[in-house]
Amino acid sequence: MTDVVRTGFRPSRIAIYGVLLLACLVYLIPLIIMLITSFKTPLDIRTGNLLALPTDWTVVGWTKAWSEACTGVQCNGVSGYFWNSFKMTVPAVLISTLLGAFNGYVLSKWKFKGSDLLFGMLLFGCFVPFQVVLLPMAATLGKLGLANTTTGLVLVHVIYGVAFTTLFFRNYYVAIPDALIKAARLDGAGFFTIFFRILLPLSTPIFMVSLIWQFTQIWNDFLFGVVFASGDSQPITVALNNLVNTSTGVKEYNVDMAAAMIAALPTLVVYIVAGKYFIRGLTAGSVKG
Amino acid sequence: MAQLELRDIRKTYAGALDETLKGINIDIASGEFLTLVGPSGCGKSTLMNSIAGLETITGGSIVVDGEDISGMEPKDRDIAMVFQSYALYPTMSVRENIAFGLKIRGMPKEEVRQEVERVADLLQISPLLDKKPSRLSGGQQQRVAMGRALARRPKIYLFDEPLSNLDAKLRVEMRTEIKKLHQRLRTTIVYVTHDQIEAMTLADRIAVLRDGELQQLGTPKEVYDTPENLFVASFMGSPSMSFIEVAIDRSDTGLSVTLEGSDGRRLALPVPAYLENWVGKRVVLGIRPEHISQPDEQKRDNPMVEEGRFTVEVTEPTGPDVIAVIRLNGIDVQCRLDAEHPVEWGEEAELMFDMRKVVFFDPESEKRIRPQ
Repeated sequence: MTDVVRTGFRPSRIAIYGVLLLACLVYLIPLIIMLITSFKTPLDIRTGNLLALPTDWTVVGWTKAWSEACTGVQCNGVSGYFWNSFKMTVPAVLISTLLGAFNGYVLSKWKFKGSDLLFGMLLFGCFVPFQVVLLPMAATLGKLGLANTTTGLVLVHVIYGVAFTTLFFRNYYVAIPDALIKAARLDGAGFFTIFFRILLPLSTPIFMVSLIWQFTQIWNDFLFGVVFASGDSQPITVALNNLVNTSTGVKEYNVDMAAAMIAALPTLVVYIVAGKYFIRGLTAGSVKG
Repeated sequence: MAQLELRDIRKTYAGALDETLKGINIDIASGEFLTLVGPSGCGKSTLMNSIAGLETITGGSIVVDGEDISGMEPKDRDIAMVFQSYALYPTMSVRENIAFGLKIRGMPKEEVRQEVERVADLLQISPLLDKKPSRLSGGQQQRVAMGRALARRPKIYLFDEPLSNLDAKLRVEMRTEIKKLHQRLRTTIVYVTHDQIEAMTLADRIAVLRDGELQQLGTPKEVYDTPENLFVASFMGSPSMSFIEVAIDRSDTGLSVTLEGSDGRRLALPVPAYLENWVGKRVVLGIRPEHISQPDEQKRDNPMVEEGRFTVEVTEPTGPDVIAVIRLNGIDVQCRLDAEHPVEWGEEAELMFDMRKVVFFDPESEKRIRPQ
């Protein structure tokens, strides 16, 4: 009994939790400031403390950011760009994930001469800095007639994403016993039947990892968006930048913060909904089921 | 049910210097139970995968009922396999696992249902049909894996160490069941194992492999009693055969060899006349534990039986027997003694050597010296 009490109040314990709480707070402060600022009035922001709660709670910042704020010459808010981002992100995430699953299947279960080398080279794709490919990619998109289109952006993100998704799926499938594939082959299943009937149903955890990873990467991307899209096809990250940089008189921090929150929400939601699969998927294979 | 011929099967893996299979020739009769046995790395799993079509062979041919299937895809060979890890499809129920191969082959729904039920009855897994494999015990998974193989009624069944993931008790039970099943269905089975007891108990014939070469092909009795070489002799039987290098002498009563105990006491043992050509030369005497036992009145008059006193170094009771270790010519030799007449280590025991079934090997070629 005394042991339990002593464990609960040991100074080292208190120190550990104290440090953790402090780290947590440091990490959360930017988000808290963003949230409370987005609900303040401009007057409140000018006169009040950065960390103080709003004196008048208002959603003016949010509605203005959504539909009225100026991003450059246009003043329609970020709503259009928000949907742009969806139109770009959803297909790019799905296509890159499916391609990755398929690549991973071939590279782990249907090895051919040089398949390990190919996989190794594909991994380099994870380390190529974005800036390196900007010019060649711009030229390629131009030749394909996809410059300044959402389709073009989707293509760029799929190409960039396949390296990562292939890595995820290949490593996940390597841990799945080959005997399963052999058994299916003897049962008469072909290449595609094995993929769709045997492997894909086993892939939920790694699908979640790939979906979250790709969604976060593509949604948050700024560089490709700013380079390969213009005007109406720009994603929200670019619009947010334009909104913050467009000054008409007084800086409306509440609108800026609300727009930033809008831009960040989808990735937050995806993580909250599928986060438990993310952890599970990342640790899959390390513990025997 | 089908006849299977393996003709000069060769396999070299890409990039490997040595051949994994060095020309294997085995004929398997329709309805025969053949076990492939050997230490790990002997090529037995490669041979099995080659028969199934999961590996391509680099030479020779695999013939089923007169038809060369060497170049065929696994799905066209009409061969079913039971894997060591069972390889059940984890996302499918037991029913779906068994039905998978049937559905892919386009069997009508109603027939699939009947076939699944027939197999489930046969293997007594009917109550498990709607469960997922992860909910089953090892023994139940093993049954489902066999059910999946049985459902297609293929020409040939391959078993790849199917019992090695089970605990000892269940392994013996399933062994008996596989044997019963084979006696009932008389299907052609090729069964890979590294467990020589499994090989002995199940097989009609045993093929012993080593380093990609067939060492011996024969009935369990042939392989046990007349091993072709030192490797087969040492591999089959537990505790294994003891090997003592001896010289063949000629005496008044015939040919003999002399063994020396740890206390220097000597015993001359009679050996068969076919060793005439080896007089004065050294041979390896292969003697199994059961060839050395406590004195038995009924055997005493046999000229090939001799008695002597030796010091027991170690005793290992197994239940029905006691394995006693004595030292002969500087080598530990195991004897199988009756547990009802205990001997203690360090004591002397009167032992009877039955030389009728001992075998002799050429120390150079390691081959058994055959009676002319």
